[in-house]
Amino acid sequence: MFRFYKILKHLCLLLWSAFVVFPFLWSLSTSFKDANAITGGATYIPWLEYAPSMQGWASLFTDNEQGINIAGPFVDSALVTILASLVSLILGTLAAYGLSRFEYRMGFIKNSDITFFFISQRIMPPIVLAIPFFLMLKQLDLLDTVAGLVLVYTALLMPIAVWVMIDFFNGIPKELDEMAMIDGCSPIEAFFRVVLPNSIPGLVVAGMFCVIFGWNDFFFAFTLTFTQTQLLPVAIVSLNSSVTPWWSLSAFALISIAPLVVIAFIVEKFMSKGSLSGAIR
Amino acid sequence: MAEIRLKNLAHSYNPAHQTEQDYALKPLDLTWEDGKTYALLGPSGCGKTTMLNIISGLVKPSEGQLLFDGQDVTSAPTSKRNIAQVFQFPVIYNTMSVAQNLAFPLVCRKYSDKDIKFQVDKVADLLDLTEYLPMAAKKLTADQKQLISLGRGLVREDVNAILLDEPLTVIDPQMKFELRRKLREINKRSGITMVLVTHDQNEAMTFADEVVVMQDGRVMQSGTPEILFEQPQNTFVGYFIGSPPMNFLPLKNDNGILTCDHTGFSQKMDKLPSKDQYSLGIRPEYLKITEQQNASFGIAKIIQIDDIGIDGIITLSFEDGPHIKLKTRDHKSLHLNGIVGLSMPPNKSLIYQNNNLISSNI
Amino acid sequence: MLSLKNISIEHPKTPLFNISYNFEAGKFYCILGRTGAGKTEILRALMGLEQLSNGEITLDDENISNRVIWKRNMALVYQQFINYPHLNVLDNVIFPLLRQKIKKSVARQKAISMLELVGLSELADRKPSQLSGGQQQRVALARALVKDARILMMDEPLVNLDYKLREQLREEFPKLIHQSPDSVILYTTTEPKEAMQLADELLIIDNGQIAGHGKPHDLFENPPNLAVAKVISDPPISFVKGHIENGKLIGSDGTILQQSGLQHIANGEVQVGLRPDALSLGGELTSRVVLTEINGSETIVHLNFSFGQAVMLLDGIHMFEADQKINVSLDTNTIMLFSLDGQNITKESN
Repeated sequence: MFRFYKILKHLCLLLWSAFVVFPFLWSLSTSFKDANAITGGATYIPWLEYAPSMQGWASLFTDNEQGINIAGPFVDSALVTILASLVSLILGTLAAYGLSRFEYRMGFIKNSDITFFFISQRIMPPIVLAIPFFLMLKQLDLLDTVAGLVLVYTALLMPIAVWVMIDFFNGIPKELDEMAMIDGCSPIEAFFRVVLPNSIPGLVVAGMFCVIFGWNDFFFAFTLTFTQTQLLPVAIVSLNSSVTPWWSLSAFALISIAPLVVIAFIVEKFMSKGSLSGAIR
Repeated sequence: MAEIRLKNLAHSYNPAHQTEQDYALKPLDLTWEDGKTYALLGPSGCGKTTMLNIISGLVKPSEGQLLFDGQDVTSAPTSKRNIAQVFQFPVIYNTMSVAQNLAFPLVCRKYSDKDIKFQVDKVADLLDLTEYLPMAAKKLTADQKQLISLGRGLVREDVNAILLDEPLTVIDPQMKFELRRKLREINKRSGITMVLVTHDQNEAMTFADEVVVMQDGRVMQSGTPEILFEQPQNTFVGYFIGSPPMNFLPLKNDNGILTCDHTGFSQKMDKLPSKDQYSLGIRPEYLKITEQQNASFGIAKIIQIDDIGIDGIITLSFEDGPHIKLKTRDHKSLHLNGIVGLSMPPNKSLIYQNNNLISSNI
Repeated sequence: MLSLKNISIEHPKTPLFNISYNFEAGKFYCILGRTGAGKTEILRALMGLEQLSNGEITLDDENISNRVIWKRNMALVYQQFINYPHLNVLDNVIFPLLRQKIKKSVARQKAISMLELVGLSELADRKPSQLSGGQQQRVALARALVKDARILMMDEPLVNLDYKLREQLREEFPKLIHQSPDSVILYTTTEPKEAMQLADELLIIDNGQIAGHGKPHDLFENPPNLAVAKVISDPPISFVKGHIENGKLIGSDGTILQQSGLQHIANGEVQVGLRPDALSLGGELTSRVVLTEINGSETIVHLNFSFGQAVMLLDGIHMFEADQKINVSLDTNTIMLFSLDGQNITKESN
């Protein structure tokens, strides 16, 4: 009986993994197909079922009918994501520390309300924000620029950083900061010398969330840019002309998720080394 | 309710256990009678929690059997063992009233409303919590919350035993005294076996009919508090039971005659290997201060007087010799640096060979 | 000298009311009280971690009530083992010295010798999380001692440690602390025996106020009020109701507890405190045994009298069955009498 459940359990897990991994494999095989192979039905094994072609991958670096050069959007995406994530992380961590440790009061507004204001940024459907953002960027003459996008993405990512870090700081005993102050640190010193070094796991998690959300966002990248600046998600969609170049699309998609995969592996290595666990008892 | 038998039980967290070092719990064999109170006593990391987890079913022992009334439950899941547990911190459902808290295990077991009410009232009466039943559980004090945790175990009629995992840690000393007494009363009235895990010898001794003293995964001695106090089988038990701990003075082996410097103690014994270590164990409670001329256990200088209320703890030093502690109620008449005589009832002196008791009642 | 002048704190759970006391350097002060009585708040107020709503704190006649925490030069050992998790043991101890702008090489030397004193030299490279509870608390103690603070506070430092370890550290504390004769030492605890053993001067806190202070033994023998009497003894003092009638003490059921000698107390109701060692075997008072607890060479017997419940502490091991009837006597010299408002009225006032 026990054995049966064990087998069933593994079977379910296997099915689910297949379901999750399949799109990735599909993209991978498609990126090596040409038009013939794609219309020839569902085939998966190169050489045996279809003749592999580098057409899709080659198109990534050409700027013509066949495709769009990926370099531009890649650099733009990287710039926007990294800058916005950094700013969000720095400001968000400071804000979270304040909200976790000090009590603010403005009339009826308390800490929990301020925290909610941050979080509420993510509760609203993006479409509500799109028009105001558009108008604001227009006023500032920042439409279709990297700087404008960094500004907007910071507004979007900061709530995530604040959210993750408040939770993390609440998990660090307040006595630790008090001890630092008793030992002669000013509150700022206590934060930098004691709290921050013990918050690396939280910073890594918050940073990862920021990068993932920033990198993958399509909606604002689409509404706030036209021709000068183009981010990866938008570039992919723009590939889709009258005839869908599935091969380019797949290769493009794979390249654009590559940085996230690399980050995931680095973080996982970092975590498994145990450098994150056991920092705080 | 059941008799609990730990039959040749041993456990190692390391699956490839080979040496004795690998065992978190070294082989042991204990039988706990139905309806009595027991305590597992030892420093942290001594294996007492492992033992508790084996009984509750969280850990499956790597060797031996666990028997409830002769029935093998070694592999039975926790839910089938009918064990109630109380932890260090009170576990209560804050959103519920006291009555709902007590009823919860029965509600989960789909008892009828009538049966639930009957059981809850019975347990509330046992715990003296009847007047608190309609109150919100979170409003109670820490010791009352701990009683509710216990009560949730008691409402089930089929409880085999109650395991108490350091339940008094977060309770103030004054309330600890009351709660301890309450636990004993509940045991007497309900007749359910109780096993207390603790590092506090006072708690263990005052609570349990029988105390199991553990160290490094080994049972050092199991017995009534009186036996543990009067006849510690080894120096560890002598040290661990009693506050201040037992005094140990080195003994010299002179061809079968054991002597203790400074005290005039000497004892002839047969078959004493000369290479072994011998020591004399003396409870601070039995050592008495006398006039110098009546001293039968040497003369010493008072170097410290600690007044702890009713009793005083006196630290004495033999001339150029070891320190020795003494507990007395007459500490107010003593002076620091005073030279006093000591006496010791001979039948309370214990002799240890390589840290194991070889002779008592000389 | 450290002085508290009428300090009050508005705290939702444990406020303090008008605490005034002078602490002298070189003495060991124990603050004894139940959980939530306000012991920790006094320390927090001294630290500057709690806002004073009233009163002032002076150190050597200088008002420090408004000085920021990090400039007060005080040291604290928490009941939780608080160390800096990211620093090893040695760097933990160096940390406060560097904040005092002491040269790194000098700080290092000082920290090393302090670790030697608390017996942790061999563990200097470990992270706190790799240490046992007792060792972690020693690190915290070393960090508190190393900076030669004017005021050294310990907030129930032993409460989370094993019984035997507590016993051992209780012995070590006074020796370690005598290293700093210029410091005021404040130590909070809920354990009467611990307080009695360690304290040069004892303060009893109850409901945010000082209920009593003085030499430990004096407070034990002659508690000024009920609040002190309730926390000063372990096993605790038992309280029963009684009344005074023409110099006699009479229990609630009419039993005469003390024949004479109480003429100085006006007739009326009183609370009677019976120390556990006031009762002994053999005598006129009949009682029913509720429970017998054996504790080493002592036996604690819970007794039911016709005038109330009381606890008797006997030397030696005695076994009584529940409900057994035994006769005991009461040592009238140790009876304590409290008026209904809680004041000790046993002794004739001069």
